[in-house]
Amino acid sequence: MAEKTFDVVVVGGGPGGYVAAIRAAQLGLEAAVVEREHLGGICLNWGCIPTKTLLHTADLYREMQDAERYGLTAEASFDIEKVVSRSRSVARQLNSGVKFLMRKNKIEVFDGSARLTGGGGLVVEKDGETVADLGADNIIIATGARPRSLPGLEPDGELVWTYKEAMVPTTMPSSLLVIGSGAIGVEFASFYRSLGAEVKVVEVLPRILPVEDEEISAFAREEFEKQGITIHTNATVESLEKGDDSVTATIATEEGTVEATFDRAILAVGVTGNVEGLGLEATAATVDRGAIVVNEWLETGEPGLYAIGDVSGPPLLAHKAMHEGVICVERIAGEPSARPMERRRIPGCTYCHPQVASVGLTEAAAQEAGFNVRVGRFPLVGNGKAIAVGDTGGMVKTVFDADTDELLGAHMVGPDVTEMIQGFVVAMGLETTEAELMETVFPHPTISEAMHESVLDAYDRVLHV
Amino acid sequence: MPTEIYMMKLGMTMTEGTVAEWHIPDGGEVKLGEDLYRLETEKVEMEVEAEAAGIVRHLVPAETTVDPGDVVGWIYAANEEIPDVLPGAPAGGASAAPAEAEPAAAAAEAAAAPARAEGERVPASPAARRLAKELGVDLATVTATGPRGRVTEDDVRSAHEAAAAAPAAAPAAAPGTPAPASPLARKRAEALGVDLSTVAGTGPGGRITKEDVEAAAGGGAPAAAPAAAAAAPAVAREDEVMAVRGMRKVIAERMYASLQETAQLTMDMDVAMDDCVKLRGQLIEEWSDDGVRPSYTDIVMKAAAKALRDHPRMNAQFLGTEMNLRGEVHVGMAVALDEGLVVPVVRNVDQIDLKAIAQESSRLAGLAREGKLGLDDMAGGTFTVSTLGMFGVDSFTPILNPPEVGILGVNRLRDDVRWEGERPVRQKAMTLSLTWDHRALDGAPAAQFLASVRDYLEAPFRLLV
Repeated sequence: MAEKTFDVVVVGGGPGGYVAAIRAAQLGLEAAVVEREHLGGICLNWGCIPTKTLLHTADLYREMQDAERYGLTAEASFDIEKVVSRSRSVARQLNSGVKFLMRKNKIEVFDGSARLTGGGGLVVEKDGETVADLGADNIIIATGARPRSLPGLEPDGELVWTYKEAMVPTTMPSSLLVIGSGAIGVEFASFYRSLGAEVKVVEVLPRILPVEDEEISAFAREEFEKQGITIHTNATVESLEKGDDSVTATIATEEGTVEATFDRAILAVGVTGNVEGLGLEATAATVDRGAIVVNEWLETGEPGLYAIGDVSGPPLLAHKAMHEGVICVERIAGEPSARPMERRRIPGCTYCHPQVASVGLTEAAAQEAGFNVRVGRFPLVGNGKAIAVGDTGGMVKTVFDADTDELLGAHMVGPDVTEMIQGFVVAMGLETTEAELMETVFPHPTISEAMHESVLDAYDRVLHV
Repeated sequence: MPTEIYMMKLGMTMTEGTVAEWHIPDGGEVKLGEDLYRLETEKVEMEVEAEAAGIVRHLVPAETTVDPGDVVGWIYAANEEIPDVLPGAPAGGASAAPAEAEPAAAAAEAAAAPARAEGERVPASPAARRLAKELGVDLATVTATGPRGRVTEDDVRSAHEAAAAAPAAAPAAAPGTPAPASPLARKRAEALGVDLSTVAGTGPGGRITKEDVEAAAGGGAPAAAPAAAAAAPAVAREDEVMAVRGMRKVIAERMYASLQETAQLTMDMDVAMDDCVKLRGQLIEEWSDDGVRPSYTDIVMKAAAKALRDHPRMNAQFLGTEMNLRGEVHVGMAVALDEGLVVPVVRNVDQIDLKAIAQESSRLAGLAREGKLGLDDMAGGTFTVSTLGMFGVDSFTPILNPPEVGILGVNRLRDDVRWEGERPVRQKAMTLSLTWDHRALDGAPAAQFLASVRDYLEAPFRLLV
């Protein structure tokens, strides 16, 4: 017998979970959140937000070192402890912000881990004790994901890190091996390189940032290498041998096997859903490759059981999770305006230097999908604002369907592109064609003009090349 | 010039509002945007914010009910002199008692409703502008409820819906009005030869997306020639999906709302029509030179109007906390069009003669079929008559047009039997179907009204005197 019942119980207080709970409260549903650690989840406590704090620090530091170029004099140095401490205090501030939002929306938060007991019941357990017995018409699993590990390369938190340790270093490693070149790997490579570490990135696939457009990957790689990051693609780390305060890696590269020693290694080879210990076995929900299987409405095989965010599969992005939370709850509430997410229009951002941002299909994916593709490009060397701020390492690439003139994808690398991609996301959401984009007045001087020029280029009307 | 404090109009249906409470005392100082008074209508209550800063002077005390748009007070800026007698106040000072407030408000009305200058830009939100464009609503005609008189999206919608209470005037229903569609959808529709008005939109707010157009082009052609389809019965027929929009949408919402929000029920009563048939024949002959042919509906309208005079409770508006017994008798007549139903109103039916009724109803029906009914042609009905007799219907349950409390269904003229002693006599008869709102009046008075209509029709000379 449940001691407390709700319309919606969300398991997991990360960005997907707490947003789902707020939306539920807005729609007049009684909502609760079960969180075993920190409200705000990985995103806010150990992911998106604290890493952006670190990366901003790295950007400032790099610019300080570069001060002379601008006619400035600055003595650049850093205290890693203070750098990390600022990142933590930002996370704390936002964490209490989420607590406030829960209170404001009258959402009850249960501290502990949830376990489904079937039939809309779940128990909350803390330190092995049952602390609450809940019932809900609708249960949303939003437990997120954790780093995947590879056999023989298991992180130990001391010498072999995951993102979590990499975010709170107590000393600055002088050399670092980054295994995996997705967003997480590349961001840490960028951060540690900016602070002066020797960084080597090893990627099993033929290129870094494998989900991005090939040209963007290549462009970013060139920029990283200019900064002194060494990159091995088509390469695998075969073993890690731990020393007292170092790790020695055996890396199989295209040129042969090399051995190298690093102060620390970061394992960033992807994540896997937190599907264990939830009692999913007691339900009709199924799990495939570490993710709970859901339909377009985030419904699992079990009536009244939903899964959103990382635990329901890729793309593993906080904004995807939040949006799914909203859709899922609106579906539960029977909102007529609820619509499934247009998955092709979820943007992705990587905050390394230079930044990378994209939405939609890459050129290769568009071709593979059978589109007659039309591509525009514009390099930031032709952009006045980029020259003015001294950061011309970037480009904008747009991919159109030549038959319908639909904008299929947009890919950007360079300064502030993570803030600008939304222009293309809105455009795609509104189903604009090249005509509206070309007619749009972009403010001068801004780096965003490169977005305009890229569209113009796709239609042979580029102005500044 | 001091700033007027208006009784805000919160929607087209708002007929009066009450200054429930002044938050700023008479003579007190108010800041811009500060809550000024609490507005109550029979439906909602809301806080009205000050649109200027300065000294507040009350023109009416709290708990005064006035018409929307009336001035209820003034805000004097710091440099403005406050006169002893406020503009719009009755002689004797500003502190009008509630009973005296009405003339004050009335006097203020003329000054308080400054007509918008021709071509003046109406403040409106972007969403409101877009919707207005989509729905073909002239912003200048919309009552604004947004901050500082800004027209909101809801205002446009209300205006549109109000206009659609008289659906023929609803511009959305006008053929040729572009359906909301994305630029890409338009382009695809053009390329594929798809008529957008036949496409159901699934995008946000019913917007037509590229997929909708392609589905319409690829799926069963809804506009397939019916003859061809009939000739090939072996071919599986696709479902036809029709968007519910324009007049259909308005009718759907209003009919549903009527059934949801009132306590309506229907009773039937038979009427011996021999004398009416005879009278109608004579009148047609009498007025043949003028080409005026009174219909049975015209005759029933006249009878109903006279009966409404005798039974004012049926000629009323039920407004929840009060009933408005209407002074005049304006009878709406339902006219079926291909696109839906419109209800033009014949005015003062109790006062004009049958010939004038016949002329007016035929003029309105003509305008309706040409889609030329103006808003004024459809406003102000106090009762409605709806005829299905021409389709052979003997009884139905008309749906009320709130806030009216009665609607009379006119059925087929049929052959019936009357007993004269033991001898059956053939006679013409008709059933009248009266739907009324039980909230406004009970079964007995409703039956008395219906009997009264019957009595007029059975002794139709009374309709001529």
